[in-house]
Amino acid sequence: MGVVSKRLKMNSTVVPLPKQTPIPATVRDAIATLQMQYVHAIDDDRIERWPQFFTEKCVYQIIPRVEYDQGRLIGVWFCDNRAMLEDRVSALREVNVYEPHVYRHVIGPTEIIDHADGAYHARTSYIVVRTMSDGEMSVFSAGRYVDEIVVDGETALLRKRSVVTDSYRYDTLVVIPL
Amino acid sequence: MTQAITARAIPELLTWPEEGITRVPMHVFSDPELYAWEQDLIFRGPTWNFLCLEVEIPEPGEFITTHVGDSPIIVVRRKDGSISALVNRCVHKGSIICHQPKGKRTRTHNFVCPYHNWIYDFDGNLTSIAFEKGIQQKGGMTADFDKTEHRLTRLNVETINGLVFGTFSDETPPLREYLGPVMVEHIERTLHGKPKILGRYSQMMHNNWKLYIENSRDNYHPSLLHAFFSTFKLNRLSAEGGTRQDDKSWHHITFTKRYTDKGDAAYDSGMIRAQKEDFGLKDPSLIDQWMEFPDQITNSIQSIFPGFVLQQVMNSLGTRQIITHGPEKCELVWTLIGLEEDTEEQTYVRLKQSNLVGPAGLVSMEDGAIGGFVQKGIKGDLDKRAIIEMGGKSVGGMPTRATETSVRGFWKVYRELMDV
Repeated sequence: MGVVSKRLKMNSTVVPLPKQTPIPATVRDAIATLQMQYVHAIDDDRIERWPQFFTEKCVYQIIPRVEYDQGRLIGVWFCDNRAMLEDRVSALREVNVYEPHVYRHVIGPTEIIDHADGAYHARTSYIVVRTMSDGEMSVFSAGRYVDEIVVDGETALLRKRSVVTDSYRYDTLVVIPL
Repeated sequence: MTQAITARAIPELLTWPEEGITRVPMHVFSDPELYAWEQDLIFRGPTWNFLCLEVEIPEPGEFITTHVGDSPIIVVRRKDGSISALVNRCVHKGSIICHQPKGKRTRTHNFVCPYHNWIYDFDGNLTSIAFEKGIQQKGGMTADFDKTEHRLTRLNVETINGLVFGTFSDETPPLREYLGPVMVEHIERTLHGKPKILGRYSQMMHNNWKLYIENSRDNYHPSLLHAFFSTFKLNRLSAEGGTRQDDKSWHHITFTKRYTDKGDAAYDSGMIRAQKEDFGLKDPSLIDQWMEFPDQITNSIQSIFPGFVLQQVMNSLGTRQIITHGPEKCELVWTLIGLEEDTEEQTYVRLKQSNLVGPAGLVSMEDGAIGGFVQKGIKGDLDKRAIIEMGGKSVGGMPTRATETSVRGFWKVYRELMDV
């Protein structure tokens, strides 16, 4: 299979192993810290920190659940390396025009499903409340993070994060990452 | 008339300014009675409305549900391979018949209303009613009830290059005639192979549907509002481009040829926000493209009246369909497409360039917000009029994009159909 074919086969479902492999506590801690710091960086408007949660070669995508589940390729956001994530950050700071708003992420516990190809495969439910500058609040997105996480000692990094949004409808625009 | 039944007559609601199509009364973007008239005279009037792609319903019995304006629609593939479009509303109590976004019906089931099991065939004929003869000779429909007098409203359907359009009106000219040769040629050019769906999502916008459609025809705003392209010198008005219309100015194409950009003093004077010298892409592979079209056009937006857009943003091809949600809200359904003929590398380019479009599109995201800015801005000043004078006072194609000729084209058609 060519490199591109591999890249195109992105949304393969990971089936949990029948036998629970014990996950070392240090790994669990590293992954929990990653999840926590990730959402706090975004919610605190420290978006510059966001690309650093990823490995240099990585995939970050936002895709509706109905599309993801049928193996469709394209969602609303797709980056395949950290430099692209950094470009997104520059664009939201310098280029794109939008009404100021903030997110509040609430995440559920991370389920670690498998360890394969050198990464932990995990999923985490999230909900994001968006608050506009005029005070209007709404549930902006709910869904799950489907992750591939590389752990090295106490550090965990995302090799791949698919933000699978329950709704296929997005309100106004998605400029801040989920 | 199906939706303006409680609305006052249009002359009581709207008098068009003497200046004509260079002025647009602001209240057309918020008035609920005009909105109801638009449903009848535009979406259910002599217009072709995009329904879906043929590839969504390849097999007989396969269907999708969508909307034309406010009206819920079922689009289904008949046994003979042709396509039928029906209003998704049971004649009995008015319930939605099909509540799934898509699916497949076999010949024996057809469409069954979930409420009381009234059953329709793919042509919308009412074929069966549960308990029609009652139970044990008791109850049932009255003897003089004639099923053949009741049927689902059927739309006329035509297709072009895999795009399915429907119209409520028998007065609508055939699709290709409605589009005109310039539009037909451009659709055939953009969809130069067999389309396949790569992704779909929708964008909810807090503005009247016409504000989005104006935006899709406004080729003067992109390099100003959408700073991403102009920052990277990808879509400056000084690049060769222009505006094309059909003979009647109902429809519109704006296009750019990226590699002909010779620069323009106005852009280099530092006056335009997009010009930030310190800004550069860390990963320029985002905008890697291949020259897909022999005409060298790298961007084209084609807007078909009333609510359809066919997009080519570099190698990102897609359709956009407007769905109305009351006078101050609308939804844009984006379907990103590739071609069966694409190589894997080309598919991957389309995937990367999907970052340019949609609600998170580096180029297009502002379109989701700008209509809402207008909608907020006009509150309290509904007696004011918008000014549409860039590029003159008339309609017709122009060899420039510094024009609002196609926005005027939209209002020309609007006035014709609304008779104002």
